[in-house]
Amino acid sequence: MTTLRLAWLFGRRSVSARSTVILPVVAFAVVTALLLIVAGGAQAFFSWTDERAGLYQVLAVIALSLLVVPLVALGGSAARLSARRRDDRLASLRLLGATPGLVTALTVIESTALAVAGAIAGAVLSLLLSPLVALIPFRGEPLGTSILLSPVWIVVAVAGIGALAALSAVVGLRGVILSPLGVRTRQEAPRVHWIRVLITAGVVALVITAMSVLQSVADVGVVIAVFAVGFGGSIAVLNLIGPWVLRMVASGQARRARTARRLLAARAVLESPKAAWRQVSGVAMTSFMAVLAGVGIALVGPMGDSVDPSARELIEDIRTGVLITVVASFLMVACSAGVNQAAAVLDRRDLYVSLDRIGMPVREMNAARSRAILSPLRITAIGSAVTAAAVVFPLTGMSLLLSPLTLVMVAACLTAGVLLVWVALRATRPVLSRVLSEPSPSL
Amino acid sequence: MTSAPVAAPPALSATALTKTYGSSTALAGVDFRVAPGESVAIMGASGSGKTTLLHCLAGIVTPDSGSVSLATATGPLEITTLNEAGRSRLRREAFGFVFQQGLLLPELTAIENVALPLMLTGTDRRAAEQTAAMWLAVLGLAGYESRRIGQLSGGQAQRVAIARAQTTGAAVVFADEPTGALDSQTSAEVMDALIRSTTDRGRSLVVVTHDESVAARCSRVLRLSDGRIVDEVSAR
Repeated sequence: MTTLRLAWLFGRRSVSARSTVILPVVAFAVVTALLLIVAGGAQAFFSWTDERAGLYQVLAVIALSLLVVPLVALGGSAARLSARRRDDRLASLRLLGATPGLVTALTVIESTALAVAGAIAGAVLSLLLSPLVALIPFRGEPLGTSILLSPVWIVVAVAGIGALAALSAVVGLRGVILSPLGVRTRQEAPRVHWIRVLITAGVVALVITAMSVLQSVADVGVVIAVFAVGFGGSIAVLNLIGPWVLRMVASGQARRARTARRLLAARAVLESPKAAWRQVSGVAMTSFMAVLAGVGIALVGPMGDSVDPSARELIEDIRTGVLITVVASFLMVACSAGVNQAAAVLDRRDLYVSLDRIGMPVREMNAARSRAILSPLRITAIGSAVTAAAVVFPLTGMSLLLSPLTLVMVAACLTAGVLLVWVALRATRPVLSRVLSEPSPSL
Repeated sequence: MTSAPVAAPPALSATALTKTYGSSTALAGVDFRVAPGESVAIMGASGSGKTTLLHCLAGIVTPDSGSVSLATATGPLEITTLNEAGRSRLRREAFGFVFQQGLLLPELTAIENVALPLMLTGTDRRAAEQTAAMWLAVLGLAGYESRRIGQLSGGQAQRVAIARAQTTGAAVVFADEPTGALDSQTSAEVMDALIRSTTDRGRSLVVVTHDESVAARCSRVLRLSDGRIVDEVSAR
């Protein structure tokens, strides 16, 4: 009862700070809506039973694998936001002698409540959008009502989002429970070990070997399984190598920085390369696959009438699928960046006010904040796209000659995605302006 | 203590300042002046208007009426007529600030924190860090340049904040409860550092404090109550 009463008191207090409640709720709503829409699309693919259905199902699994990372990142951002908002108060509670169980319970109750509220809103949003999603054409006709999920799956999704929030809250608060002082003082920058590079190289070699023997396998189920494991492995190693790459690049940027905004942005990435990576990691696989698929479509596309109608339909469908995946991926990354940045401004309210006091122009603060996200995003998007282009280098050249439009479209999608994230970051500017304009009694 | 009229021309002066927040009067006609090399402590109970006075003097907020004038090489500059960008530039170039909690950037090293205000004025980073290193050495922090703020003690962090307030050669340094979070011995050391780096070098120091021992280190003490100066005495 004491725990519930304390949770209620904490919750009541946070209602006054509206943005700290609204932000995670909106983020969870976006996560749930996109999750249900994507799952609905996949359900439509898996409802087909003809001979071409297997190929579409493989493509659906690939698209789902690509969207899992940004989805989890956005869910994690929202969960950490709702948990981190209370870090200080919870750490203070720990210092006053509250048990780890009480601290964990308070956080889990609050984070889960916000997540479930957002998830319900997201489920409603996905239902409202379903008439539009049903119009998306695959195999020459709109997807139709086959995208509608049963209420059981919607309840499972809402419960899953709640569980994800609870888990993120528990993981995020381990530091508070283990060492309340450590969380409050942020003594040392986290390190990212180079051993990650070796592990990455090993896993990449394994995945390439698995993929190369795939053509001799006839069973569609095995192919789907190998693809899923291959993508899972690739995503796992990307998460290993990504933070290391961002840390190395940011170290160089911090050393070379000549202006305050560049120095602050690089140091912000170095403060937590893993957090910086989490925000943009979804874009890595999406960019990689978008370029590979783009090259493939560009090569096959110009064959025109020599290609049979069903193959042409497949090419069109892959093009549609790639575009939807890239857009959804960037949409989630943009939401995640917006949520994280708004949370960071609110978390560091006193610090931003003090920077304003010492005369740092607001445009410099905003530029540093944007750069801290856009720089890793550019590195990730361009790095992955260039790597993919390099892997299929001779084909890239040919596809540029045969059908430059498709590759231009993929490049335009990636550019639009970066712009979308920039817009999301711009949307957080009023949060900073409001923080600076509110009179602070202690400053 | 005796009344001590200040004869030297002021580095910063204010006349008839008023400021209200809603129905609450924070300042009700306050006059103020601080000369180069002089330190002034502003004391008073919570809500007496001392932080509002500091904010008006530093161009952080604009008073409802009254004037604030800063002596510059080209003549007096009326701060209340400047727009937000102008006041921001003034704070960057002419003023230094020390806050109660230091409010340093935890992800930056000590030397980067101190160099930051200079970099904001457009100074090259190498030159800014040379100046920063000099100030860290002056304040007894040589060898701590690469430490992050979380790796410093409270007193060391506050000396980094004092160094940050000095790098641009600020004519006036404002300190808001600079020793509020420190024990008495560290508090004395920090005040030594603050006095040594400001008034001893001909700069002006304005300190908002609750601590009588901090006020006793200043040239003058102003006491505020309900937005008015009710007492003004020389402290040493």
